Amino acid sequence: MIYLDAAATSFQKPASVEKAVLQALRSYSSPGRGGHKYAMAAAEKLYELRERAARLFNVADVERVAVTFNATHGLNIAIRSLVPPGGRAVISGYEHNSVLRPLHALGADITVADCPVFDYAAAIRAFDRATAPRPDAVIINHVSNVFGFELPVCEVAELCRVRGIPLIVDASQSAGVLEVDAEGLGADFIAMPGHKGLYGPQGTGLLIASDKARPLLYGGSGSDSKSPDMPPYLPDMLEAGTHNMPGIAGLCAGLAFVEKTGTDKIAAHERALAAGLIRGLRSIRGVRVFAAPDMEHQTGVVSFELDAMGSEEAAGKLADLGFALRAGLHCAPLAHRTVGTAERGTVRASVSAFNTEREIGSFLDAVELTARGAQ
Amino acid sequence: MDSYYLTCRSLTYAQRVSRVLTAARIRNIIVRTPQKMSAEGCGYAIRVSPSSYADAMNALQSAALPPKRVYRMSAGGLFEEVRR
Repeated sequence: MIYLDAAATSFQKPASVEKAVLQALRSYSSPGRGGHKYAMAAAEKLYELRERAARLFNVADVERVAVTFNATHGLNIAIRSLVPPGGRAVISGYEHNSVLRPLHALGADITVADCPVFDYAAAIRAFDRATAPRPDAVIINHVSNVFGFELPVCEVAELCRVRGIPLIVDASQSAGVLEVDAEGLGADFIAMPGHKGLYGPQGTGLLIASDKARPLLYGGSGSDSKSPDMPPYLPDMLEAGTHNMPGIAGLCAGLAFVEKTGTDKIAAHERALAAGLIRGLRSIRGVRVFAAPDMEHQTGVVSFELDAMGSEEAAGKLADLGFALRAGLHCAPLAHRTVGTAERGTVRASVSAFNTEREIGSFLDAVELTARGAQ
Repeated sequence: MDSYYLTCRSLTYAQRVSRVLTAARIRNIIVRTPQKMSAEGCGYAIRVSPSSYADAMNALQSAALPPKRVYRMSAGGLFEEVRR
Protein backbone atom coordinates (compact mmCIF):
# COMPACT_ATOMS: atom_id res chain seq x y z
CA MET A 1 0.00 0.00 0.00
CA ILE A 2 1.22 3.51 -0.77
CA TYR A 3 0.91 5.64 2.32
CA LEU A 4 -0.30 9.21 1.78
CA ASP A 5 -1.61 10.00 5.27
CA ALA A 6 1.42 11.58 6.91
CA ALA A 7 -0.70 14.45 8.23
CA ALA A 8 -2.34 11.94 10.56
CA THR A 9 0.79 9.95 11.38
CA SER A 10 3.99 9.44 9.46
CA PHE A 11 3.80 5.70 8.96
CA GLN A 12 7.19 5.18 7.35
CA LYS A 13 9.81 5.81 10.02
CA PRO A 14 13.57 5.89 9.82
CA ALA A 15 15.05 2.49 10.76
CA SER A 16 16.82 4.22 13.65
CA VAL A 17 13.44 4.97 15.28
CA GLU A 18 12.40 1.33 15.41
CA LYS A 19 15.83 0.38 16.73
CA ALA A 20 15.67 3.05 19.43
CA VAL A 21 12.24 1.90 20.62
CA LEU A 22 13.44 -1.68 20.99
CA GLN A 23 16.64 -0.55 22.66
CA ALA A 24 14.63 1.48 25.17
CA LEU A 25 12.65 -1.56 26.26
CA ARG A 26 15.89 -3.32 27.04
CA SER A 27 17.87 -0.45 28.55
CA TYR A 28 15.72 2.11 30.31
CA SER A 29 13.55 2.21 33.39
CA SER A 30 12.10 5.54 34.61
CA PRO A 31 13.91 8.87 34.59
CA GLY A 32 13.81 10.69 37.91
CA ARG A 33 12.80 7.57 39.79
CA GLY A 34 16.15 6.32 41.03
CA GLY A 35 19.89 6.65 40.84
CA HIS A 36 20.68 3.21 39.40
CA LYS A 37 22.04 2.77 35.91
CA TYR A 38 18.71 1.99 34.22
CA ALA A 39 17.04 5.08 35.66
CA MET A 40 20.04 7.28 34.86
CA ALA A 41 20.28 5.90 31.32
CA ALA A 42 16.62 6.80 30.86
CA ALA A 43 17.27 10.27 32.29
CA GLU A 44 20.15 10.77 29.87
CA LYS A 45 17.97 9.81 26.89
CA LEU A 46 15.20 12.11 28.03
CA TYR A 47 17.65 14.97 28.39
CA GLU A 48 19.04 14.22 24.93
CA LEU A 49 15.50 14.59 23.58
CA ARG A 50 15.09 17.96 25.30
CA GLU A 51 18.46 19.12 23.96
CA ARG A 52 17.70 18.03 20.42
CA ALA A 53 14.29 19.70 20.52
CA ALA A 54 15.78 22.88 22.00
CA ARG A 55 18.31 22.98 19.17
CA LEU A 56 15.82 22.27 16.39
CA PHE A 57 13.23 24.75 17.65
CA ASN A 58 15.64 27.37 18.99
CA VAL A 59 14.67 27.16 22.66
CA ALA A 60 17.27 28.82 24.88
CA ASP A 61 16.39 26.85 28.01
CA VAL A 62 15.98 23.06 27.79
CA GLU A 63 13.76 23.14 30.87
CA ARG A 64 11.08 24.72 28.67
CA VAL A 65 10.84 21.54 26.62
CA ALA A 66 8.18 19.34 28.20
CA VAL A 67 7.26 15.87 27.04
CA THR A 68 3.58 15.22 26.31
CA PHE A 69 1.47 12.35 25.00
CA ASN A 70 0.64 14.18 21.77
CA ALA A 71 -0.10 17.69 20.50
CA THR A 72 -3.62 17.57 21.92
CA HIS A 73 -2.20 17.04 25.40
CA GLY A 74 0.12 20.01 24.93
CA LEU A 75 -2.67 22.22 23.61
CA ASN A 76 -4.87 21.31 26.57
CA ILE A 77 -2.08 22.32 28.96
CA ALA A 78 -1.55 25.57 27.07
CA ILE A 79 -5.22 26.50 26.88
CA ARG A 80 -5.90 25.63 30.52
CA SER A 81 -2.88 27.71 31.54
CA LEU A 82 -3.96 30.84 29.69
CA VAL A 83 -7.72 30.86 29.25
CA PRO A 84 -9.85 31.03 32.41
CA PRO A 85 -13.39 29.60 32.44
CA GLY A 86 -15.52 31.95 30.37
CA GLY A 87 -12.42 33.72 29.07
CA ARG A 88 -11.92 34.96 25.54
CA ALA A 89 -9.73 33.37 22.87
CA VAL A 90 -9.01 34.44 19.30
CA ILE A 91 -8.34 31.53 16.97
CA SER A 92 -7.80 31.02 13.26
CA GLY A 93 -10.52 29.60 11.05
CA TYR A 94 -8.38 26.49 10.59
CA GLU A 95 -8.14 25.12 14.13
CA HIS A 96 -8.43 21.46 15.00
CA ASN A 97 -10.81 20.03 17.60
CA SER A 98 -7.78 19.82 19.90
CA VAL A 99 -8.22 23.59 20.24
CA LEU A 100 -11.99 23.94 19.83
CA ARG A 101 -12.99 21.29 22.36
CA PRO A 102 -10.83 22.49 25.27
CA LEU A 103 -12.10 26.02 24.67
CA HIS A 104 -15.68 24.80 24.50
CA ALA A 105 -15.20 22.86 27.75
CA LEU A 106 -14.08 26.10 29.40
CA GLY A 107 -17.13 27.93 28.09
CA ALA A 108 -14.78 30.33 26.36
CA ASP A 109 -15.91 33.18 24.18
CA ILE A 110 -14.29 32.25 20.87
CA THR A 111 -13.58 34.81 18.17
CA VAL A 112 -12.60 33.29 14.84
CA ALA A 113 -10.13 35.33 12.80
CA ASP A 114 -11.65 34.21 9.55
CA CYS A 115 -10.02 34.37 6.12
CA PRO A 116 -10.24 32.60 2.77
CA VAL A 117 -7.97 29.62 2.39
CA PHE A 118 -4.43 30.49 1.19
CA ASP A 119 -5.08 34.22 1.63
CA TYR A 120 -2.11 34.96 3.88
CA ALA A 121 -2.60 38.73 3.93
CA ALA A 122 -6.29 38.38 4.81
CA ALA A 123 -5.33 36.14 7.74
CA ILE A 124 -3.05 38.84 9.14
CA ARG A 125 -5.80 41.45 8.80
CA ALA A 126 -8.30 39.12 10.47
CA PHE A 127 -6.08 38.61 13.51
CA ASP A 128 -5.39 42.33 13.66
CA ARG A 129 -9.14 43.05 13.85
CA ALA A 130 -10.02 40.18 16.18
CA THR A 131 -7.42 40.96 18.84
CA ALA A 132 -8.97 44.29 19.77
CA PRO A 133 -10.13 44.22 22.50
CA ARG A 134 -7.35 42.13 23.97
CA PRO A 135 -8.25 38.43 24.44
CA ASP A 136 -6.84 36.07 27.07
CA ALA A 137 -4.98 34.21 24.34
CA VAL A 138 -4.47 33.92 20.62
CA ILE A 139 -4.26 30.39 19.22
CA ILE A 140 -2.99 29.82 15.72
CA ASN A 141 -2.44 26.70 13.70
CA HIS A 142 0.88 26.99 11.88
CA VAL A 143 -0.41 24.79 9.04
CA SER A 144 -3.98 23.64 8.43
CA ASN A 145 -4.20 19.87 8.80
CA VAL A 146 -6.93 19.85 6.15
CA PHE A 147 -5.68 22.17 3.42
CA GLY A 148 -1.94 22.48 4.06
CA PHE A 149 -2.34 26.27 4.26
CA GLU A 150 0.60 27.85 6.07
CA LEU A 151 -0.82 30.57 8.30
CA PRO A 152 1.03 33.81 9.15
CA VAL A 153 2.48 32.66 12.46
CA CYS A 154 5.39 35.11 12.49
CA GLU A 155 3.19 38.13 11.75
CA VAL A 156 0.59 37.10 14.32
CA ALA A 157 3.34 36.48 16.89
CA GLU A 158 4.63 40.01 16.29
CA LEU A 159 1.12 41.40 16.67
CA CYS A 160 0.71 39.53 19.96
CA ARG A 161 4.09 40.73 21.19
CA VAL A 162 3.24 44.36 20.49
CA ARG A 163 -0.18 44.06 22.14
CA GLY A 164 0.98 41.90 25.05
CA ILE A 165 -1.31 38.99 24.18
CA PRO A 166 -0.30 35.44 25.17
CA LEU A 167 0.16 33.21 22.13
CA ILE A 168 -0.27 29.48 21.56
CA VAL A 169 1.03 27.93 18.34
CA ASP A 170 -0.18 24.56 17.14
CA ALA A 171 2.80 23.21 15.22
CA SER A 172 1.25 19.81 14.54
CA GLN A 173 1.75 19.97 10.79
CA SER A 174 4.84 22.17 10.72
CA ALA A 175 7.27 20.72 13.26
CA GLY A 176 10.01 19.00 11.32
CA VAL A 177 8.99 20.63 8.04
CA LEU A 178 8.91 24.41 8.48
CA GLU A 179 11.03 26.60 10.69
CA VAL A 180 9.58 26.76 14.20
CA ASP A 181 11.69 29.32 16.02
CA ALA A 182 10.55 29.45 19.65
CA GLU A 183 12.70 32.40 20.68
CA GLY A 184 11.91 34.28 17.48
CA LEU A 185 8.17 33.79 17.85
CA GLY A 186 8.14 34.50 21.56
CA ALA A 187 5.05 32.31 21.93
CA ASP A 188 4.04 31.21 25.41
CA PHE A 189 3.36 27.71 24.16
CA ILE A 190 4.21 25.73 21.05
CA ALA A 191 2.60 22.30 20.93
CA MET A 192 3.54 19.54 18.53
CA PRO A 193 3.13 15.81 18.11
CA GLY A 194 6.10 13.47 17.94
CA HIS A 195 4.53 11.08 15.47
CA LYS A 196 4.08 13.25 12.38
CA GLY A 197 6.90 15.36 10.95
CA LEU A 198 9.28 14.40 13.74
CA TYR A 199 9.00 10.70 12.82
CA GLY A 200 8.65 9.45 16.39
CA PRO A 201 6.19 6.81 17.61
CA GLN A 202 2.51 7.50 18.28
CA GLY A 203 1.78 8.64 21.82
CA THR A 204 4.58 11.19 21.89
CA GLY A 205 4.60 14.97 21.77
CA LEU A 206 6.47 18.06 22.87
CA LEU A 207 5.32 21.28 24.44
CA ILE A 208 7.59 24.28 24.50
CA ALA A 209 6.23 26.08 27.52
CA SER A 210 6.73 29.38 29.29
CA ASP A 211 6.53 30.26 32.96
CA LYS A 212 2.79 30.82 32.45
CA ALA A 213 2.36 27.03 32.38
CA ARG A 214 0.09 25.38 34.92
CA PRO A 215 -0.24 21.63 35.60
CA LEU A 216 -2.97 19.71 33.85
CA LEU A 217 -2.22 16.33 35.42
CA TYR A 218 -1.22 15.82 39.03
CA GLY A 219 0.95 13.04 40.39
CA GLY A 220 4.47 11.86 40.98
CA SER A 221 7.29 13.80 39.37
CA GLY A 222 10.29 12.36 41.19
CA SER A 223 10.94 15.77 42.76
CA ASP A 224 9.73 17.75 45.80
CA SER A 225 8.00 14.57 46.90
CA LYS A 226 6.94 15.87 50.32
CA SER A 227 4.84 18.61 48.79
CA PRO A 228 1.18 17.89 47.99
CA ASP A 229 1.49 20.27 45.04
CA MET A 230 3.14 19.75 41.70
CA PRO A 231 6.63 21.31 41.56
CA PRO A 232 6.34 24.98 40.56
CA TYR A 233 9.03 24.70 37.87
CA LEU A 234 9.38 23.29 34.37
CA PRO A 235 9.42 20.63 33.09
CA ASP A 236 8.45 18.65 36.23
CA MET A 237 5.26 20.70 36.64
CA LEU A 238 3.91 19.29 33.37
CA GLU A 239 5.24 15.73 33.52
CA ALA A 240 3.30 13.84 36.20
CA GLY A 241 3.61 10.09 36.07
CA THR A 242 5.97 7.66 34.41
CA HIS A 243 7.46 8.74 31.10
CA ASN A 244 6.93 6.83 27.86
CA MET A 245 10.57 5.85 27.45
CA PRO A 246 10.20 3.72 24.30
CA GLY A 247 8.34 6.66 22.76
CA ILE A 248 10.87 9.18 23.97
CA ALA A 249 13.79 7.14 22.61
CA GLY A 250 12.01 6.74 19.28
CA LEU A 251 11.19 10.44 19.12
CA CYS A 252 14.79 11.25 19.92
CA ALA A 253 15.87 9.16 16.93
CA GLY A 254 13.21 10.86 14.81
CA LEU A 255 14.54 14.29 15.77
CA ALA A 256 18.06 13.12 14.92
CA PHE A 257 16.77 12.09 11.48
CA VAL A 258 15.13 15.49 10.93
CA GLU A 259 18.25 17.33 12.12
CA LYS A 260 20.50 15.27 9.88
CA THR A 261 18.25 15.53 6.83
CA GLY A 262 17.40 19.19 7.42
CA THR A 263 13.94 20.72 7.56
CA ASP A 264 14.70 22.79 4.43
CA LYS A 265 15.40 19.64 2.45
CA ILE A 266 12.33 17.86 3.82
CA ALA A 267 10.14 20.88 3.08
CA ALA A 268 11.49 21.20 -0.48
CA HIS A 269 10.88 17.50 -1.10
CA GLU A 270 7.33 17.63 0.23
CA ARG A 271 6.50 20.82 -1.67
CA ALA A 272 7.81 19.32 -4.90
CA LEU A 273 5.64 16.24 -4.39
CA ALA A 274 2.64 18.40 -3.51
CA ALA A 275 3.17 20.56 -6.59
CA GLY A 276 3.15 17.48 -8.83
CA LEU A 277 0.12 16.13 -7.01
CA ILE A 278 -1.83 19.38 -7.33
CA ARG A 279 -0.91 19.79 -11.00
CA GLY A 280 -2.02 16.25 -11.72
CA LEU A 281 -5.27 16.49 -9.76
CA ARG A 282 -6.17 19.74 -11.53
CA SER A 283 -5.84 18.01 -14.87
CA ILE A 284 -8.33 15.26 -13.98
CA ARG A 285 -11.92 15.88 -15.00
CA GLY A 286 -14.38 15.69 -12.14
CA VAL A 287 -11.81 16.52 -9.47
CA ARG A 288 -11.77 19.74 -7.47
CA VAL A 289 -8.55 20.60 -5.68
CA PHE A 290 -8.24 22.98 -2.73
CA ALA A 291 -4.74 24.30 -3.22
CA ALA A 292 -2.82 27.53 -3.43
CA PRO A 293 -2.91 28.95 -6.97
CA ASP A 294 0.87 29.35 -7.13
CA MET A 295 2.01 26.99 -4.33
CA GLU A 296 2.62 29.99 -2.07
CA HIS A 297 1.91 29.03 1.55
CA GLN A 298 1.07 25.50 0.43
CA THR A 299 2.65 22.56 2.24
CA GLY A 300 2.54 18.82 1.61
CA VAL A 301 -1.08 18.42 2.73
CA VAL A 302 -3.58 18.51 -0.15
CA SER A 303 -7.36 18.27 0.00
CA PHE A 304 -9.55 17.44 -2.97
CA GLU A 305 -12.97 16.08 -3.82
CA LEU A 306 -14.53 14.09 -6.61
CA ASP A 307 -17.70 15.60 -8.06
CA ALA A 308 -19.38 12.24 -8.42
CA MET A 309 -18.96 10.80 -4.95
CA GLY A 310 -18.55 11.65 -1.30
CA SER A 311 -15.15 11.91 0.31
CA GLU A 312 -15.40 8.69 2.32
CA GLU A 313 -16.56 6.75 -0.72
CA ALA A 314 -13.71 8.15 -2.82
CA ALA A 315 -11.10 7.36 -0.15
CA GLY A 316 -12.58 3.86 0.17
CA LYS A 317 -12.26 3.25 -3.56
CA LEU A 318 -8.71 4.57 -3.55
CA ALA A 319 -7.89 2.36 -0.56
CA ASP A 320 -9.09 -0.61 -2.61
CA LEU A 321 -6.59 0.47 -5.26
CA GLY A 322 -3.79 0.53 -2.67
CA PHE A 323 -3.63 4.07 -1.30
CA ALA A 324 -3.89 5.10 2.35
CA LEU A 325 -5.65 8.48 2.62
CA ARG A 326 -7.91 10.24 5.03
CA ALA A 327 -11.40 11.49 4.24
CA GLY A 328 -14.16 13.37 6.03
CA LEU A 329 -13.68 16.33 8.33
CA HIS A 330 -10.21 15.45 9.69
CA CYS A 331 -11.22 16.44 13.25
CA ALA A 332 -11.30 20.02 11.98
CA PRO A 333 -14.93 20.95 11.26
CA LEU A 334 -14.08 24.64 11.63
CA ALA A 335 -11.59 24.48 8.77
CA HIS A 336 -14.21 22.82 6.58
CA ARG A 337 -16.82 25.42 7.54
CA THR A 338 -14.34 28.17 6.66
CA VAL A 339 -13.79 26.75 3.18
CA GLY A 340 -17.34 25.53 2.61
CA THR A 341 -16.62 21.80 2.59
CA ALA A 342 -18.31 20.90 5.88
CA GLU A 343 -21.16 19.01 4.20
CA ARG A 344 -19.10 16.53 2.21
CA GLY A 345 -15.68 16.79 3.75
CA THR A 346 -12.65 16.27 1.53
CA VAL A 347 -10.19 13.56 0.61
CA ARG A 348 -6.77 14.41 1.96
CA ALA A 349 -3.44 13.23 0.62
CA SER A 350 -0.40 14.16 2.68
CA VAL A 351 3.23 13.32 2.07
CA SER A 352 6.34 12.80 4.15
CA ALA A 353 10.07 12.63 3.52
CA PHE A 354 9.64 9.01 2.48
CA ASN A 355 7.19 9.48 -0.39
CA THR A 356 8.40 9.53 -3.98
CA GLU A 357 7.41 11.08 -7.33
CA ARG A 358 6.65 7.62 -8.62
CA GLU A 359 4.13 7.07 -5.81
CA ILE A 360 2.45 10.36 -6.68
CA GLY A 361 2.29 9.29 -10.33
CA SER A 362 0.64 5.98 -9.37
CA PHE A 363 -1.78 7.83 -7.13
CA LEU A 364 -2.82 10.23 -9.89
CA ASP A 365 -3.48 7.27 -12.20
CA ALA A 366 -5.70 5.77 -9.50
CA VAL A 367 -7.61 9.04 -8.98
CA GLU A 368 -8.17 9.34 -12.72
CA LEU A 369 -9.44 5.77 -12.86
CA THR A 370 -11.77 6.39 -9.93
CA ALA A 371 -13.08 9.67 -11.34
CA ARG A 372 -13.61 8.16 -14.77
CA GLY A 373 -15.36 5.12 -13.34
CA ALA A 374 -17.76 7.36 -11.47
CA GLN A 375 -18.82 9.34 -14.52
CA MET B 1 37.14 11.15 50.77
CA ASP B 2 35.29 14.42 51.34
CA SER B 3 32.94 15.63 48.65
CA TYR B 4 30.57 18.48 47.91
CA TYR B 5 26.92 18.01 47.06
CA LEU B 6 25.25 20.69 44.98
CA THR B 7 21.54 19.99 45.34
CA CYS B 8 19.27 20.84 42.43
CA ARG B 9 15.57 21.59 42.18
CA SER B 10 15.02 18.90 39.53
CA LEU B 11 16.72 16.16 37.58
CA THR B 12 16.63 18.30 34.42
CA TYR B 13 18.28 21.17 36.29
CA ALA B 14 20.92 18.77 37.60
CA GLN B 15 21.54 17.63 34.05
CA ARG B 16 22.00 21.22 32.91
CA VAL B 17 24.44 21.79 35.77
CA SER B 18 26.31 18.61 34.92
CA ARG B 19 26.63 19.66 31.25
CA VAL B 20 28.09 23.04 32.27
CA LEU B 21 30.62 21.44 34.61
CA THR B 22 31.61 18.82 32.08
CA ALA B 23 32.12 21.52 29.45
CA ALA B 24 34.39 23.27 31.96
CA ARG B 25 36.30 19.98 32.38
CA ILE B 26 35.18 19.58 35.97
CA ARG B 27 34.54 15.99 36.96
CA ASN B 28 31.09 15.56 38.41
CA ILE B 29 28.40 12.98 38.87
CA ILE B 30 24.63 13.21 39.19
CA VAL B 31 23.46 11.38 42.31
CA ARG B 32 20.28 11.07 44.30
CA THR B 33 20.29 13.67 47.01
CA PRO B 34 21.05 12.01 50.37
CA GLN B 35 17.90 12.08 52.44
CA LYS B 36 19.31 14.25 55.19
CA MET B 37 20.12 16.98 52.68
CA SER B 38 16.71 17.03 51.12
CA ALA B 39 14.01 18.72 53.14
CA GLU B 40 11.60 18.64 50.17
CA GLY B 41 11.78 14.91 49.52
CA CYS B 42 13.32 13.14 46.53
CA GLY B 43 15.77 15.01 44.38
CA TYR B 44 19.09 15.02 42.61
CA ALA B 45 22.43 16.58 43.35
CA ILE B 46 25.80 16.99 41.68
CA ARG B 47 28.78 15.58 43.51
CA VAL B 48 32.20 17.17 43.03
CA SER B 49 35.50 16.80 44.82
CA PRO B 50 36.83 19.46 47.21
CA SER B 51 39.60 20.28 44.74
CA SER B 52 36.99 21.06 42.05
CA TYR B 53 34.49 22.85 44.25
CA ALA B 54 35.64 26.44 43.73
CA ASP B 55 35.94 26.01 39.97
CA ALA B 56 32.54 24.36 39.88
CA MET B 57 30.89 27.24 41.71
CA ASN B 58 32.57 29.76 39.43
CA ALA B 59 31.42 27.89 36.34
CA LEU B 60 27.85 27.74 37.63
CA GLN B 61 27.87 31.40 38.55
CA SER B 62 29.00 32.25 35.01
CA ALA B 63 26.21 30.09 33.59
CA ALA B 64 23.62 31.59 35.98
CA LEU B 65 22.81 28.10 37.27
CA PRO B 66 23.06 28.30 41.05
CA PRO B 67 22.55 25.10 43.04
CA LYS B 68 19.69 25.05 45.51
CA ARG B 69 21.97 24.27 48.44
CA VAL B 70 25.56 23.12 48.91
CA TYR B 71 26.72 20.55 51.45
CA ARG B 72 30.16 19.30 52.36
CA MET B 73 30.23 15.67 53.35
CA SER B 74 33.16 14.10 55.14
CA ALA B 75 34.46 10.60 54.46
CA GLY B 76 32.76 9.51 57.68
CA GLY B 77 29.36 10.57 56.36
CA LEU B 78 29.00 13.74 58.42
CA PHE B 79 27.81 16.72 56.46
CA GLU B 80 27.26 20.41 56.88
CA GLU B 81 25.62 23.01 54.72
CA VAL B 82 28.03 25.43 53.10
CA ARG B 83 26.82 28.99 53.48
CA ARG B 84 27.42 31.02 50.35
